[in-house]
Amino acid sequence: MRRLRVQLTILLALLGLLVMAWGATIFLGARDAARNSASVQLTVDRVDGLRQAATRLSRDFVTMDTSRRAYLLTGDQATLQAQIQAEEHASEGFGQLRRLALPWKGLPPLVERVGTEYRAWVRTGRTEVKARQAGAQAAARVAAKGFADRQFRALWERQTNLEDELAWRQAAYASSQGRTYKAAQTLAVRTAVMVLAAVLLIALYLRRAVGAPADALRSASGRLAGGDLGTPVELGVDNELGAVASDLETMRRRLAGRMEALERLRHLSAQVVGATSLQRLAEVVLDGLQPEIGATRAILGAARPGGDLVLRALAGFPDDGGVADDIVKADAEIRELLPMAALRGGQVVGMANLERVASSPTLHDLVARTGVRSLALVPLLSRGRFLGLLALCWTQPHPLDREQEALLGLAGNQIAGALEAALRLEEAERAAGEARAVFYAIADGVLLTDPFGRVTAVNRALEALTGWTEDEARGRTYAEVLPIAEDQVGGPADLVSRYGRKVPVTVSSAPIFDARGRVVGGVDVIRDVSKEREIDEVKSALISTVSHELRTPLTLIHGFAELLVLRDMPVERQRSSAVEILDASRRLARLIDDLLSVSRMESGRLVLDPRPLDLGTVVERILSPFRAMAATHTLRAKLPGSLPVVWGDPDKVEQILTNLVGNAIKYSPGGGEVLVTVEHDGDSVQVSVRDQGIGMSPRDMGQLFEKFYRVDRDEVRRAGGTGLGLYITKRLVEMHGGRLWAESWPGVGSVFSFTLPTSDELAGSGR
Amino acid sequence: MKLLIADDEPAVRDLVHVTLEGDDYEILEAADGVEALEVARGEGPKLVLLDIMMPRLDGLEVCRQLKSDPDTSDIVVVMLTAQAQERDRDQGLAAGADDYFTKPFSPLALLNMVERVRQTQSQAD
Repeated sequence: MRRLRVQLTILLALLGLLVMAWGATIFLGARDAARNSASVQLTVDRVDGLRQAATRLSRDFVTMDTSRRAYLLTGDQATLQAQIQAEEHASEGFGQLRRLALPWKGLPPLVERVGTEYRAWVRTGRTEVKARQAGAQAAARVAAKGFADRQFRALWERQTNLEDELAWRQAAYASSQGRTYKAAQTLAVRTAVMVLAAVLLIALYLRRAVGAPADALRSASGRLAGGDLGTPVELGVDNELGAVASDLETMRRRLAGRMEALERLRHLSAQVVGATSLQRLAEVVLDGLQPEIGATRAILGAARPGGDLVLRALAGFPDDGGVADDIVKADAEIRELLPMAALRGGQVVGMANLERVASSPTLHDLVARTGVRSLALVPLLSRGRFLGLLALCWTQPHPLDREQEALLGLAGNQIAGALEAALRLEEAERAAGEARAVFYAIADGVLLTDPFGRVTAVNRALEALTGWTEDEARGRTYAEVLPIAEDQVGGPADLVSRYGRKVPVTVSSAPIFDARGRVVGGVDVIRDVSKEREIDEVKSALISTVSHELRTPLTLIHGFAELLVLRDMPVERQRSSAVEILDASRRLARLIDDLLSVSRMESGRLVLDPRPLDLGTVVERILSPFRAMAATHTLRAKLPGSLPVVWGDPDKVEQILTNLVGNAIKYSPGGGEVLVTVEHDGDSVQVSVRDQGIGMSPRDMGQLFEKFYRVDRDEVRRAGGTGLGLYITKRLVEMHGGRLWAESWPGVGSVFSFTLPTSDELAGSGR
Repeated sequence: MKLLIADDEPAVRDLVHVTLEGDDYEILEAADGVEALEVARGEGPKLVLLDIMMPRLDGLEVCRQLKSDPDTSDIVVVMLTAQAQERDRDQGLAAGADDYFTKPFSPLALLNMVERVRQTQSQAD
């Protein structure tokens, strides 16, 4: 990575150097220009001096030539003098010129050549002058030769060359001065352009390396701040800004990942809310979390009111029910394994490798059988209350990372809410189901109404009572379905059914309140009391009967005793009265015995004392007192030659026979024969008592052996009795393991038969 | 004086017999309601002691029939029953009975009652 600071520093340093170079260039250029300008000026001036010196020399040459010529012509001393003067002047000027030309390259030879010509010319001139002094002719001759003139012309040529050279040099120097200025100017302009270009380059660089990426960063961070996590952050620069961008991108990815996870959580939450059963909840949770964390199975447990966890649902396991059994069997070990304190504290606990933590053979076995290798335990808490536990299972060891832990913690909250709702729903459904079952199954009629008195529901019992089915009754008014006078509600009433049947009922009513105490309906419980009424009637009839039966002997006892005490009576009369008292007492005792027998039998306190019995002897024994008493009846026993020994309680068998024979006599008021037959029949002995009495119709026989039942005929009712005799008799026979039945024909007579087992074993239930 | 005792229980008839013995009463007996009516109509007793719970025809009905027949309506009818409830008493009186004895009854009280009836009858005669 190229460091932006370093780059910038380098750039600025370069720019500084450039600026410094520019400044230096301008400074140096200016200085050079100034210096050049001064030296050129000096040179020009010196060249000018040279030219002037050359010009003066030329003028001296001309003066010398002119003076010499004039002297030669005239010989005038003045001219000679002028010539000498000019010669001195020229020598001086020449020396000056020679001195001035000395520093100039190429000039001294030119000057020397002039000097050479000059000196030649001067010598020739002097010769001519001497010739003149010698006379005019000599002079003329010499002059005629013209040496001096030719030399002068050569000198002049040289001198002209020199002057030309000087003039050229002067012009050259002047133009060189102009060139120096121009060069300095050009350099300055070039440097300025370079500086400008450098500044532009730096600006461009800054724009590219800093400005654009900063803008991009700004907009990327703006997008992130605005919640756009979909667009990647990319700068394409390799510096600090690029690093910031890459950090931002990482952040964006993580945030996007989080958002995605949250989104999935939200989705999961929406799904779990819809899960109404714990099984469904477990499946939905597994479906939702599987893509996030890779767990393939889930176990859901709910806390019982006591706090114990109970397995409630499995998801993702093979559907054979074996896993549930295995888990339930290992309940105690699993309990020990679970870090309940941490879980109750709401902490997600990972168990990366169950094989390592499984502490008992049972758990090892469970791990092997279920194929679960690692777990994530997600506590389900709602408002701090531990509701249950979700165990997510992997079939491979799976360490939980922080992100998954956090996700599961969040998911746990959602699931806990759903679990609470599902548990509540389950409870409500159970309660509603119970209520519904009670409502429909209850034996009393129940009718529900809305606040306007319209029927909303009736149960089966009420359907039967009123004749309205629930569908028909719904929406009708209370009075229509249940026509009961207002003042009868709460007490006994007569309900007239839809088909006119009159049923005695009691009605109790109560309003139904909602949570805020408003009446939202009413419930009426209608009890069919016809049975109770019947029982009441039976009871009062029974009391009447018992009272009559008790009072009759009591009357005799009381009456004869009073007479014995208060009246004088002959001895025989006294005796017969005492006999009456005795008889009545016996009768009273028998009645009380019967009532007690029933009571004992019903409470299970009557116990048989069985022993071997000779039935023939028993029959004869009970028949003899009847024979003595019943004058109009013939009592006969028909016994086979040999009888097997039967097992029975002698007192109870006697009681059975006495009751049956007593009835036979009682219900054959016209007298006749009473025949007792004993027959051996396989494992049992059958005893029959036949009479020639009033008999019974089949209708009368229906409830013959029921307690307190008395055939509803004047003869029977008025014959006395408690209605207990046959009931007791039948119970006694059955206690012996036998059977009692009756055959009868109205007006012809009845046969009552019973069996007693001959085996040792008493199969009866009364033991 | 003739009187009739109607009761299905022979011992009760015996008791009445013994109670009224020796006082010059002519005691007629009946074992059921039908017999009681027959005897009452045939013999014309001055007093009838009627048990309520009797075979064939109950005492209340016998009483009703006796009281509705002008020939027998003069007969004093005394109900003699084991039923002691208020309801039974009212039924008896509604049927036209003149008095009501509840079993167990005092034979001497019965004797007194019969004596009173005889005196009333003899005064009327």
